[in-house]
Amino acid sequence: MELTPCGAMRKPRWHTFAGKMPGLMTQSFSFDATDLNIVEQLRLNGRANNQQIAEKLGLTATTVSTRIKRMEDANQLRVVAVSDFSAHGFNVLLRISVEIDGRPASDVAHELAELPEVFAVHIVTGRYDIDMLVALHDFEDLAHFLLDRLSGIHGIRSLTPAIVVDICSYQFDVAPIEAKE
Amino acid sequence: MALPQIDTLDEQLIDMLSRDARVSNRKIAAELGVTEGTVRGRIKRLQQDGLIAFTAITGFEMGKRARLAFINVQADVDKVRDVARAIADLGAVNAVLITMGQFNITAMCLVDELDALVEIASDKILTINGVHHVETSIAVKTIKYNARMAKITRPVEIEDAEIADED
Repeated sequence: MELTPCGAMRKPRWHTFAGKMPGLMTQSFSFDATDLNIVEQLRLNGRANNQQIAEKLGLTATTVSTRIKRMEDANQLRVVAVSDFSAHGFNVLLRISVEIDGRPASDVAHELAELPEVFAVHIVTGRYDIDMLVALHDFEDLAHFLLDRLSGIHGIRSLTPAIVVDICSYQFDVAPIEAKE
Repeated sequence: MALPQIDTLDEQLIDMLSRDARVSNRKIAAELGVTEGTVRGRIKRLQQDGLIAFTAITGFEMGKRARLAFINVQADVDKVRDVARAIADLGAVNAVLITMGQFNITAMCLVDELDALVEIASDKILTINGVHHVETSIAVKTIKYNARMAKITRPVEIEDAEIADED
């Protein structure tokens, strides 16, 4: 793994996780069984209060509070509301595999990441160079996305889309976490 | 698709809670200029409608499963739903999308080493009845990922106790 310079990248807005190499840029932080138990309770119900969590685990509310704060401060935990795509009116989801030509893939990836319709961008191994997930309100937005947004980015050789027709499971509880602003 | 109605207040609520879910109803109410009862009712409704869920997201140091991998699957069209369900039931996979395109199922998983990916893709998924072809691709670098937006598929459990200010 190497660190790719990302000088061209604007500071991401709060709701995007910055593209960081896992483990890099964060100082080593160790978790014990108590931390992991608290996280497990928070995964079940992120809005359980400290007292409820404390009672379930046989701890004091103060310990729970301190532990949560410590993990949050180390940028290793965020307790958040995850909202459904439909809550934002996104009814069309596309997974687009991108082939790059004549430009570093990371340069193109950073430009793609700037587009509001793109909610995930990964540089990948295999047949394609970049994998991205795009959320649109409806298919009419596709023309704008393709002709006004993607056409402004140089180095895209091909776009291979897949229309997401159903989601059977979607459970991501591990992600790169950026520092709080 | 019949969607539950979302108004500006819901949007503001979602926005606040997606930054930090452990903020008290009192604080939300004060910030948005509504009553605590309204906040409580709105949160409950958004959860019941499957529009929001509260969870804990941990950084990569927390666990070892640090690599995101895509497993692209070609399966018999008449068995797609069953195959997708079978893949989701493997447990080792974080997301299963049924797609129309070059592949008809995309599975995403977090793995800590290549062996684990080979086991899921080549040993487990490839042997599911109806699967013809499997291709894997590993995310070597994530440039953008919005973990606060997702497909909420699991049922919500609503507990009544509320987060207090001192929490």
